[in-house]
Amino acid sequence: MGISGSGKTTLLLTILGIIQPKKGRIVLNDKVINDTPIEERNIGYLPQDYGLFPHLNVFDNVAYGLKVRGASKTEQGQGVKEMLALVELEGFEKRKIKEMSGGQRQRVGLARALAIKPDLLLLDEPLSNIDQITKLEVATHLKNLFAKLDIPIILVTHNHEDALFLAENLAIMNEGKIEQIGSVKEIMNNPKTPFIKRLLTPFNAT
Amino acid sequence: MLNSKHLIFLLYFLAGCLLLFLITTILFQYYVALGSLHQVLAAFTSDRILSALWLSITSSIVTTILAIVFGVPLAYLFAIKQFRGKIPLETVVVDVPQTFPPVAEGMIFLLMLGPTSPFHINLTFTFTALVIAKFFIAGPFVVSTVARRFREIQKSGINLTARSLGANPFQVFTTVFIPMSLTDIAAGATLCWSRAMGELGGSLLFAGVIPFKTEVLPTFIALDAKTLTAEALAATILGTTASMLALVTFKKITLKGEKI
Repeated sequence: MGISGSGKTTLLLTILGIIQPKKGRIVLNDKVINDTPIEERNIGYLPQDYGLFPHLNVFDNVAYGLKVRGASKTEQGQGVKEMLALVELEGFEKRKIKEMSGGQRQRVGLARALAIKPDLLLLDEPLSNIDQITKLEVATHLKNLFAKLDIPIILVTHNHEDALFLAENLAIMNEGKIEQIGSVKEIMNNPKTPFIKRLLTPFNAT
Repeated sequence: MLNSKHLIFLLYFLAGCLLLFLITTILFQYYVALGSLHQVLAAFTSDRILSALWLSITSSIVTTILAIVFGVPLAYLFAIKQFRGKIPLETVVVDVPQTFPPVAEGMIFLLMLGPTSPFHINLTFTFTALVIAKFFIAGPFVVSTVARRFREIQKSGINLTARSLGANPFQVFTTVFIPMSLTDIAAGATLCWSRAMGELGGSLLFAGVIPFKTEVLPTFIALDAKTLTAEALAATILGTTASMLALVTFKKITLKGEKI
């Protein structure tokens, strides 16, 4: 979590492999992946705009990762079925992306990212494009989904409410550096710097 | 004092003047044709004109197919790869051919692939020459139109999302870039075909004007226009109308009632 320009998305894209770090190592499952191409990192990624393929229906979007990895039609069908059940979108296979709401699109994006059985899931501001009315519903859905997954999840947000609602651990970023890292409780009870304290204070509290 | 109403009126007036000039010029040929309708209609069935029309259409189709085969990969290269001198290079190969004086283009091909070719390839007065000449002028339309779309796709980051799902760069090209750009490839192809139909300089000098072999509508008009015959007028109408129909039909199909 951090304010805009603090380097959250840059960090996410570096882990994913889109940005090459100038120094340092990226380690996933005890393996240095600095030189591993994006497509071989096996990291699930949900971009801020969900990045769905507009020319494909829900089934083909979710099956995409399986298809390019050479999975058979049967495997694709099974994978998609399993994933759509996971995100509670059964029966949406034939639906076009433009016929879906923002929250549903996000679930398609998640199903697609998870279909490849990733070792890590990255989410970039998953709640920033959701309107206030449906936000609680979408956030609850996300939280329930996270509970069902047994992989590490890194979620980037600028909104402290989203962070407190969804996260177990927080890393506060400021000017490209992690300023404090720890459990939500730890950081809430003991913010290390005045900046973090201010970041975690609701805007109407003084 | 001029108020905003007057100024807006001035804008519309200027717009109207331009519109009037363009429309008048485009439609004038039909007006003249009405004056000598019989001769023009007879010319439409002349073997020489029909052959020129056929050669125009087929050589432009071959040109367009080649433009897609080579132009889409070049558009991808320009959109995706970062290298020094990319912008000037892209400008030179995409925009500059349009600004070549028509005869200059023909001269270059004549020297490069003519009787004195340093490569010892002589293609003068052939259908291939026709295609090469048209390709040089019209092919870049595919490159520019498709590159613009590829850049949009790249900017959206959707290609990188595809990579994260396990697709290698070539798979991203075939499963994301191409299917998301079909309309734009068709748009580039339509522009390319229409431009190829109108190409003159290269056809004139390099392919020559051999009736029933390399004579196309523009070269027929160029050589016949001085006498202002009904044939030249008929050829003009055929050439311009074909391009107009192609472009307008394409716009209609792709916009599908969208307001722009």
